[in-house]
Amino acid sequence: METGSANPQSSLTNRLNLGWLGRMLSSSVGRKFVMGVTGLLLCGFLIGHLAGNLLLFGGPEAFDAYATWIHNQEFLPLIELGLLLLFLAHIYLAVVVTIENRAARSKRYAVKHSKQAGMPPLPPHNWMFVSGAIVLGFVLLHLADLRIGLRPDLAFPEWDEHHPRMYEMTVAVLSNPLSRVVYIIGTIFLGLHLSHGAASAFRSLGWDHPKYTPTIRLMSWLFAIVIGVGFCSLPILIPELAAVAPPEAKIVTPAEP
Amino acid sequence: MIAPAKSGLNLTLKVWRQSNREASGEFKTYELSNISTDMSFLEMLDVLNQQLISRGEEPVAFDHDCREGICGMCGVMINGQPHGPDRNVTTCQLHMRRFRDGDTIVIEPWRAEAFPVLRDLVVDRTSFDRIIQQGGFVSVNTGSAPEANSLPVPRVKQERAMDAAACIGCGACVAACKNASAMLFVSAKVSHLSHLPQGGGERASRVLGMIGQMDREGFGACTNTGECEAACPANISLWNIAVLNREYIRASLASNVQ
Repeated sequence: METGSANPQSSLTNRLNLGWLGRMLSSSVGRKFVMGVTGLLLCGFLIGHLAGNLLLFGGPEAFDAYATWIHNQEFLPLIELGLLLLFLAHIYLAVVVTIENRAARSKRYAVKHSKQAGMPPLPPHNWMFVSGAIVLGFVLLHLADLRIGLRPDLAFPEWDEHHPRMYEMTVAVLSNPLSRVVYIIGTIFLGLHLSHGAASAFRSLGWDHPKYTPTIRLMSWLFAIVIGVGFCSLPILIPELAAVAPPEAKIVTPAEP
Repeated sequence: MIAPAKSGLNLTLKVWRQSNREASGEFKTYELSNISTDMSFLEMLDVLNQQLISRGEEPVAFDHDCREGICGMCGVMINGQPHGPDRNVTTCQLHMRRFRDGDTIVIEPWRAEAFPVLRDLVVDRTSFDRIIQQGGFVSVNTGSAPEANSLPVPRVKQERAMDAAACIGCGACVAACKNASAMLFVSAKVSHLSHLPQGGGERASRVLGMIGQMDREGFGACTNTGECEAACPANISLWNIAVLNREYIRASLASNVQ
């Protein structure tokens, strides 16, 4: 019976000779490889995102000019789709790998201590799933706030596709005390997640070598600090700066001819 | 004149007792007095067992063999640390001078789904043997010790292979890892053989086979926490795990092994 009815999916993988890919993606090492690749690509996104957001310090004209430029890029939907796929892959693998890792030791130790010297209590590498979940929650709120604009409690300016007043919207969100605290917490946990994830990703890719590892470690630490402090500075400082120089006073520039 | 020997340690032991694989198991508390600081940890357990036998109780089962740190048989969690508090030693090489009078010592078996407890502190580590069976060897019969200069191996490669070959397969890496991952063990075996000309020919099938078996045995994945390296009595470096990852990716993407 069963020999006659071949699974069409498996026959396709057989015909394309993709068995190796399935084996790799279902293995612990292959999954961590993909987690590392997606994590590092998301780190690349963070660099671009932070660079753009730091323009908030330049005031409404600078930031809105940047926002207008990026909203008018034709490839933007493609980038957004790519980011969505990266996030989904990274999150899916995190869930699968965490479930398997938990299952690998169902009976916990009564007493457990690290043998590594100078290990701080609760080192970030011991709760990557938790910090990742907190960052995910923050990202979803952040998308609802500023990508979809789901904030009926805030007075957002009228949406204009060609001249989005993103500075005003950002200040409106960050001036809300609850949002401000959430943004501060979210970005701190992002920094903690990166403090282990960035360097760890390189080892998952097999990139650990006496020649490169000290540099990779240092750069990863600096990266986590720059990203964490950089993003965290926005909810802390931008509402203060905007209160000193209200954006309404500056947005008088008429549409360009 | 030789100073009179100081009186030994008085200790409270909390030992995991489990009569068989299916039993639920529990901690039992034992008091020991006048334990010499010159004893090894296993000799201290011998003293405990002698007392248990003389009281007509079942002695504590624990694995041990050479008692000089090279066989890989011994190994228990001592106050939450594999092989106790010292770096680069096995349980048999841990001495009681490391403890203080009045200490309470919690002794647990390695805990991992792939290392089921057989009795008390003895776990079944045949999952490691099954991983080795999937490629942790060289198929070609290399015969007896060859003439030293017939197959030259560069010194750097010798050293790397030798460092990795120091793994005694005790399982402390699995015990220390929060994911009960066997990556350090597998990486030591893969790194050891792949650096040598005799092992190079099978490097792709070896790493694919061993990782496949490692996953089937129910070991977890690597989070790069470094706990395995700190717990390893043979000083196996975490660097080997990167070698393993590299070998696996290379074998998956760039070898003709199906």
